[in-house]
Amino acid sequence: MSVIKLQGVVPEIFASNQNLHSDIWLQDVAFEQGKRYLIEADSGTGKSSLLSFLYGQRGDYRGDILFNDQDIRTLNSRDWSVVRQSVLSILFQDLKLFGELTALENVQIKNRLTKSQNDRIIKAWFEELGIADKLKTRIDHMSYGQQQRVALIRALCQPFNFLLLDEPISHLDDRNADVMRDIILREASRQGAAVIATSIGKHMNIDYDKRLSL
Amino acid sequence: MTLIWKLLRKHISWFELGVFFIANLIGMVVILAGVQIYTDLRPIVAGDNALIGNDYVVISKSVKRVNSKQVFSDSEIEDLRNQSFTLRLGEFTPAQYQVTGGLNLAGQRFSTLLFFESIPDEFMDVKSREWKFKSAKRKVPIVIPRNYLNLYNFGFSQTSDKLPQITEGMMKDLELELTLSGGGHTEQFVGKIVGFSDRLNTILVPEDFITWSNKRFAKGEDIETSRLILEVINPSDPELLRYFKEHGYKPEDKPAESSKALFLLRVSVGVIIVIGLVFSLLSLIILTLSIYLLLQKNIDKLENLRLIGYSTSAVARPYNIIAIALSTSIMLLSLWIISQVRMLYIDYLIESTGREIGGTMALTIVVGLALMFAIIFFNMTIIRRKIIQISRKR
Repeated sequence: MSVIKLQGVVPEIFASNQNLHSDIWLQDVAFEQGKRYLIEADSGTGKSSLLSFLYGQRGDYRGDILFNDQDIRTLNSRDWSVVRQSVLSILFQDLKLFGELTALENVQIKNRLTKSQNDRIIKAWFEELGIADKLKTRIDHMSYGQQQRVALIRALCQPFNFLLLDEPISHLDDRNADVMRDIILREASRQGAAVIATSIGKHMNIDYDKRLSL
Repeated sequence: MTLIWKLLRKHISWFELGVFFIANLIGMVVILAGVQIYTDLRPIVAGDNALIGNDYVVISKSVKRVNSKQVFSDSEIEDLRNQSFTLRLGEFTPAQYQVTGGLNLAGQRFSTLLFFESIPDEFMDVKSREWKFKSAKRKVPIVIPRNYLNLYNFGFSQTSDKLPQITEGMMKDLELELTLSGGGHTEQFVGKIVGFSDRLNTILVPEDFITWSNKRFAKGEDIETSRLILEVINPSDPELLRYFKEHGYKPEDKPAESSKALFLLRVSVGVIIVIGLVFSLLSLIILTLSIYLLLQKNIDKLENLRLIGYSTSAVARPYNIIAIALSTSIMLLSLWIISQVRMLYIDYLIESTGREIGGTMALTIVVGLALMFAIIFFNMTIIRRKIIQISRKR
């Protein structure tokens, strides 16, 4: 997939709102493969909703979202499994890790499905992000910042054309945020993928192709 | 152990699954016992001919006076064949020569005149691989009415110390010395009893033997038919009875007791199977509720797995495996229990009836497997539906 198009998309709850001034809602927007996007938003403007629509988690919107030229409302649950294994990857704002599994197991549960990265690379990422000593620690015994880094590694364990990042560095210090940015850009370039990041203030220091405000 | 299993086994209630296991096991054992008992008892109660559905009637003409031959003419047979109640019609072909049968039993020699008849094979209620006459071997397979054996066992044998009781198996091992004479020559054959008929009250030999021997000993005289066998849907059909009465045909009585006993057997086995089904149904409800509760408790994990790209079937797999393992072990265990129970009663049945029990567990196994697959299919369907429902709701 090389482009995601939004045509007059708006969350149903905003549909009656007359004074909507947004670069995305009710506009025609295209996200192209290989580019870097930043979506800036105040809280409550529907940032997470947007990513949920793109990821097929929710369907309570008006307008059309197209993957290339296919309306995503036509995808069935099997199609979505394929999309989530090989086209779209996401770092959820609430991470969606499994608390009772260890950090490494949380990554493996994805990697065993996609078989895309080897153990050496995964461990190198843990090293780089400074959580190599937490490999065998249960997720629910780790800080939110540490969990955020585990969730990123998990998100990278698959082929993708678009990487969706929902406030990826909200709980990271600047040094770790830079390490994360480097890994993301490296992996996105390697895969020729687009990066779509959201932020409510703090954002990764990247030369974005386009900044949109919700 | 896979990570999925590690995640999803949480909240599995082994207690609920245990209750399902026991309740379903009881249900299965009861159902399968019903099937097995029916298979084993039906031939004893109703004879091997107790085909479900159609019935057979043997008719002859009423004897009006001594020495008059009561035979069916070709036109009478044709008319009968064309009646709406007749499904199939077969003629009895009698041997037209003299037969003597000799037998050595417990050091005593018996000898008696015999009378052979044949009917088309499709009307035989005894199926035997030996039911074939080969002239080179000079062996003649014979089917005798079961009540001949009963007559001997409860008559002769009871009143004489020298005569032992004989089982059907022993009868089948005996060799009869047959002497056939007619048309100016006499020949020896060996007769072998290959089965016992409940339907046909006569000594039967294969049709090809009768044809061959009539040609050899009776020079192919015209054969007259004095008895007919009819396959009918309902032997007490008023139209059929009226037709018989009008033409003076006399149906040979079927033992009324046997149909009553068969009816009782069917009713009681039916009740047993219904009880088993109720048990199984209740156990399935327990399992369904348990699965629903389990999936509900794991709802966040199921949802997350779907979101990181696991398919519905991959998420359902651990639960499907549990369902398959449970149902398979329940089925194997119940079949084992049935085989053990059967060993207990089968000896008693053989002893008390003096008959071989021809039935096998084949039908029970087929029914068991069918139920197993049905239950597995049912389980997998509700698991799948519930998981799809979970991922749609959010």
